[in-house]
Amino acid sequence: MGAKTNARKERRMEPEVLEAELVLPTYFSFKKVQVYEKYPKGQSSAKRFKHLKQIIQAENFQNYPPDEPNYVNIESPPSMHPSKRICDITGYEAPYHDPRTKLRYANAGVFKVIRSLPNEYVQRYLALRNAAVVLR
Amino acid sequence: MPFVSHIRRQTDYGLFPPATPIVIDNGASNFRIGWAGENDPRVVFRNIVQRPRHKSTGETVTVVGDHDPALMKYFDCTRSGPRSAFDSNVVYQFEIMEYILDFGFDRLGANGSEIDHPVLITECVCNPVYSRSKMAELLFETYGVPSVGMPPAFGVDAAFSYKYNQQLGVCAKDGLAISPGFTTTHVVPFVDGEPVYKGSCRTNIGGYHVTDYFKQLLSLKYPHHMTRFSWEKVEDLKMEHCYIAPDYALEAQLFQKGTKEAEEKTRCWQLPWVPPVVEEGPSEEELARRAAIKERQGQRLREMAEAKRSSRINELENELRGLAFLLKQLEQVGQEDAPSFLAETGYASKQEIESAHAKATQSLRKAKGEPKAEQVDSDEKIDPSADEKFSLLNVPDHMLSSEQLKEKRRLNFLKTTTEGRQRAKQKRMEEELERERKNREDEERRLANPVLYLEQLHVKYKELCEKVEQRKRFKTNGGNTNGNNLSGGVGRGERLNAAQRERMRLLTTAAFDRGKGEDTFGARDEDWQLYKLMSKDNDDDDDEPDPEEAELTRISSRLQEIDPTFIPKVELGTSQQIVEVPKFRPLTKEDFQVILGVERFRCPEILFNPNLVGIDQAGLDEMAGVSIRRLSCDSKDVEDRLTQSILITGGSCLFPGISERLEARIRMIRPCGSPIRVLRASDPVLDAWHGASMYASTLQFPSQTFTRMDYYEKGEDWLRRYQVRYSL
Repeated sequence: MGAKTNARKERRMEPEVLEAELVLPTYFSFKKVQVYEKYPKGQSSAKRFKHLKQIIQAENFQNYPPDEPNYVNIESPPSMHPSKRICDITGYEAPYHDPRTKLRYANAGVFKVIRSLPNEYVQRYLALRNAAVVLR
Repeated sequence: MPFVSHIRRQTDYGLFPPATPIVIDNGASNFRIGWAGENDPRVVFRNIVQRPRHKSTGETVTVVGDHDPALMKYFDCTRSGPRSAFDSNVVYQFEIMEYILDFGFDRLGANGSEIDHPVLITECVCNPVYSRSKMAELLFETYGVPSVGMPPAFGVDAAFSYKYNQQLGVCAKDGLAISPGFTTTHVVPFVDGEPVYKGSCRTNIGGYHVTDYFKQLLSLKYPHHMTRFSWEKVEDLKMEHCYIAPDYALEAQLFQKGTKEAEEKTRCWQLPWVPPVVEEGPSEEELARRAAIKERQGQRLREMAEAKRSSRINELENELRGLAFLLKQLEQVGQEDAPSFLAETGYASKQEIESAHAKATQSLRKAKGEPKAEQVDSDEKIDPSADEKFSLLNVPDHMLSSEQLKEKRRLNFLKTTTEGRQRAKQKRMEEELERERKNREDEERRLANPVLYLEQLHVKYKELCEKVEQRKRFKTNGGNTNGNNLSGGVGRGERLNAAQRERMRLLTTAAFDRGKGEDTFGARDEDWQLYKLMSKDNDDDDDEPDPEEAELTRISSRLQEIDPTFIPKVELGTSQQIVEVPKFRPLTKEDFQVILGVERFRCPEILFNPNLVGIDQAGLDEMAGVSIRRLSCDSKDVEDRLTQSILITGGSCLFPGISERLEARIRMIRPCGSPIRVLRASDPVLDAWHGASMYASTLQFPSQTFTRMDYYEKGEDWLRRYQVRYSL
């Protein structure tokens, strides 16, 4: 039954799509449980998986000895090197920063450009640096 | 990445005995699957899944991997973006993982009733148990990967790569594996051929972040061409043009100074552009024809106007003659018969006739188009007569009758108005003289020193522009936002200026003053005066900047006259962008060029400096130091051995210049004189698979796998501690 419905659906598609075998068939012989059986339609996929944060939380890593490496343990610490400040717009070395928009700039010419930017672009530049104001 | 063309289904699945393991490298960027012992993976595709709706059948289908964009037009992809099973190198969406495995196995040619080959699949360093167990479950339950004797195994891709290169002789038994991947970067030390996870280190930055950064930078710099910067295209650009500078600060300085080297390093991408068809100026005959038509139309209009005027003049003359005749008749008729005579003509008194007569003469003169000076004369002529009339005023009140008093009051009023008019006229003439004088002075100054004059004018213009803009901004926003805010609405957080405050006050008092329960706002007429007040407020506000704006327009028109290069500033409201496309000249080829200069080495720099994108973690070079520190080995000897064979592998290590940079940096953090050697894997992208394949084809491999029974009996805890032994 699975194969027949499959063929019927395929007949309605364009020939080159069939030729390229673009679409994933819904039935596979080597699978014990097919996808449509496992995930019946209607169930929202959001409930089906846990996000990484939930997974990590569920692991309870703090219960285990800190010596053993685990997913959270091996994360790198913050950088010890002095951070390099580069201009947000041009990429050159930027010793100055604009108090109004909080962007970094390299020279007066860039400053002029910064002051003429609409707010949307300012926020996008800041977002590159993860410094944008996010209102939730 | 260029789209993966259609992968033919492999046909030799049945040829492989059930003992041959299938090797899968499950990476965040690509999914590679093949047979153990072979040189290359059979099937490689992008590890993403899309679920678009097919346009004609309407059903939701699944498309795995990258596909020919031409074919994708049959699908409605608006509601489905490409989805990955990964969240920063950990698999968490197993439904998507299932689709991918389906596709992978299918293309490999699987067609039995179950997958009865052992499977070796890679995972990330210290994969959480949840992910690992779900993956095991998936393989066991759904694919029937055998539970007896030939079960699956998990391994770390970086480790496999290292082992492979060790076999090749690229790196030694002890060393450090640095693998910048797609979403994360790992550093794993190897001691005696085995990875020591205690000393490993992971930063959440990878090729994905570099491409994203690149894409954002380009979109911000060239907003017009934003649609051309698709993810795939930018990734192509990144792979082709980006490099890592040996020292970022020096490189940046090169570019800043604009040296010749910087010019050479700048690459320019020309977008396809078709010059607009310049239409030929209308030819000579065309122009002549159009001019002739215009002339004829003008002629016709003029004739009509002429005809109208002459007819009106005739009318007026007739009227005048009639009135003159009446006057004469009146004189002849004499005093007694005057009223009756007048009643016939329809005029009440002699004065009326006279005034009508005067008016008609005036209109006639206007129609005939005589100069205004005559009118002024006539005005002045009236005045002496008015003086006579006003003589009544000089006579003191008590001597006049009541009628005459009324008359006197009227004359008073008339007198004041005429005097006022005279004074106004006087002032106007004086102003005119003044302006004339100023203009003459201006002209003299301009002729004397044209350049200086022009400069002064420009400066004045700029100042006025600023002032006007500022005032506008104050009006709309109370000057509280930063100067970049162009919207004029009154938001919740913005303070109102005086006019708006007044308006709000009026509205609220009107609404609430009425007494409880009933709203009788419109019942009384005075209520509607409210709106008059409100609009008058506005008017007052508008009057103020008028002198400045008038001055501004005057100066700008002067500038336009005398300065050919002056372009008046457009009204605020158009957003200014970094690359302006001026409206005054047609778009040229240069507007369609995308210049990649600093971006070429700025983007991969974030691998070494994640602070540039706000991720507060160590960069590649520092991670090596962290890893060695975490190992906490006592002898310097071991550390030296580690740094002597540093292997970099993984897709993101293909940037030119990475080895030199890494070597220089690591040398900085190690004690002086320690030996440092940085080696690149023979094939950074595929080496993980090669290593896994080689590993799986060793004889001892089956001892490393675990069966379903094991999994169910020993439970998750055992799975957590499960680790493959790499040196066999």
